[in-house]
Amino acid sequence: MTAVLEYVRASRWYGPVIALNDVTTTVGPGVTGLLGPNGAGKSTFLKLAAGLLAPSQGEVRLLGRPAWGTPELYHHVGVCPETDAFWEGMTGLQFVTALLRLTGYDDAECRRRAEQALETVALLEAQDRKVGGYSKGMRQRVKMAQALAHDPQVLLLDEPLSGMDPVNRRRVVDLVKRLGREGRTVLVSSHILHEVEAMTRRVLLIHNGRILAEGDVREIRDLMDEHPHTVSLRARDPRALARAVVGAPHVLSLTFGADGEWLTLQTAKPDEFYGHLHEAALAAGVMEMYSPDEDLESVFRYLVPR
Amino acid sequence: MTAATTAVAAAGRDTSRPVPWPRGARAVFDLALEGMVWSRRSLVIAVLLGLPVVFAIAYRAVLAAKLPPRLTGFDLYGIVVAIYYVRNVLPLAALFYATALVADEVDGKTLTYLLTRPVRRSAILAGKFGAYLATTLSLSLPAAVVTFFLLATSGGFEGIGGRVPDLFRDLGVMALTLVAYGGLFTLLGVLLRRPVIPGLLILYVWELVANLPGYMPRFTLTAWLRSLIRHRPPQEGLSEVFGQVLPADLSLQVLTLATVVFLAASLWIFSRREYVIEQ
Repeated sequence: MTAVLEYVRASRWYGPVIALNDVTTTVGPGVTGLLGPNGAGKSTFLKLAAGLLAPSQGEVRLLGRPAWGTPELYHHVGVCPETDAFWEGMTGLQFVTALLRLTGYDDAECRRRAEQALETVALLEAQDRKVGGYSKGMRQRVKMAQALAHDPQVLLLDEPLSGMDPVNRRRVVDLVKRLGREGRTVLVSSHILHEVEAMTRRVLLIHNGRILAEGDVREIRDLMDEHPHTVSLRARDPRALARAVVGAPHVLSLTFGADGEWLTLQTAKPDEFYGHLHEAALAAGVMEMYSPDEDLESVFRYLVPR
Repeated sequence: MTAATTAVAAAGRDTSRPVPWPRGARAVFDLALEGMVWSRRSLVIAVLLGLPVVFAIAYRAVLAAKLPPRLTGFDLYGIVVAIYYVRNVLPLAALFYATALVADEVDGKTLTYLLTRPVRRSAILAGKFGAYLATTLSLSLPAAVVTFFLLATSGGFEGIGGRVPDLFRDLGVMALTLVAYGGLFTLLGVLLRRPVIPGLLILYVWELVANLPGYMPRFTLTAWLRSLIRHRPPQEGLSEVFGQVLPADLSLQVLTLATVVFLAASLWIFSRREYVIEQ
């Protein structure tokens, strides 16, 4: 993976409080979710990437340059801050246009790009209304528009779905996924697991200022050997299925569902289990199968002590 | 950075460098000016700056006949410029605008938008300082000109031509007042989270030193600024306030140097400070 964003033993403290502690990681093209509970260090992580804070120790490099004190980087970086703050007297169009002028475009290009960005976030019809009169969801989207308008290679989005209704949430999720598919580097922070999960499977789990885990959620889950994987199967003959798998050394436990169709089992080695499952599944008429603890929430629950 | 990103972009922007300094400063100037002109702060300052015009109209209509004849309209104009504008209202305007150049963005949490654009921080602050000057000069100088003509011509238009150079000089001193105090309060604004109270203390406690005898007045801006005002109010009753006159050339040099130092320090601090923590 090409490292667009690099943290090399980066720490950041505020007085005696350590917000980020000796972090070494890289973020490459595509969408990466930055996940952690409130106060975990997500915002500090993003602000270091955005060059809004300098690391107290170590290095943070963006596109091969120090993120702090390199203003030319912002030609290639779009930042959507978490704070709900605007120059309230401006219209949506004026807001995005003014920020585009600060990116060096001429007036005509600013106007064209601003309208395009507002269209992308479905705010074109509201472009002449004052931002002060926008709903929370519209304000989130106009923040997204200003981050996107100069067509940046890197997008740093701090809680971008906060306050959005389901329709616009879906729209922004799709937009983020599309930006990732286009090869842009998108780092999205959230403390809401399913939000991140809807956008990407590549995550950085952060807690108490440290990276707990990083990579594909499924791969992270597979590495967590001390927590058996749960697999639920719905079959025409769940008892036959149970008979077929119960002797296997990697199957730790079996439970039948109350409705008589479901069988839930735990396995320490999911790859071996799935390898042996094929014939038994055919014989027992397996109709449905899922892993309830392979999702982000389970991974997070296992990794972060409550 | 990859070769692709360092290349000059198709839109004609060199994306390997920040936006050219003058262009960045101009964009910030335009953005800041809009916010400043249509603000409650400007309304209050405009009222304060316009009060001498109201006074001058009242003087011509009513007061001229009642005041002692030795105090002419032109003398009153001198008092307005020296005491009202240069000593009080212009420094106050500088305090409220210049300390807010960064503090308003920090309080409003909008600084992030400015700091994540390819514009040098020095251009951001310079653009905002330019907007402050444009706003305050456009509010104060016309008021002073109107006051001059209303007061200086209260006894007729005779000799007015000879006094116009004084007007231009006064306008220059007023502009210098805004520049010098603007520099000082911009520095306070980039240094302190809550700069207004320290600014008021400087204006109304420290600057009183200007009225003391000896060397101390040289450590105030007021002493140097008032030394540049040529036409002085009559000695009676005001002699203490204008007790010490410093050489005009030296005053100009000191004020220029002080402004350069204040602004350079402000730019240096603003370019290095992490304001997002305060947000």
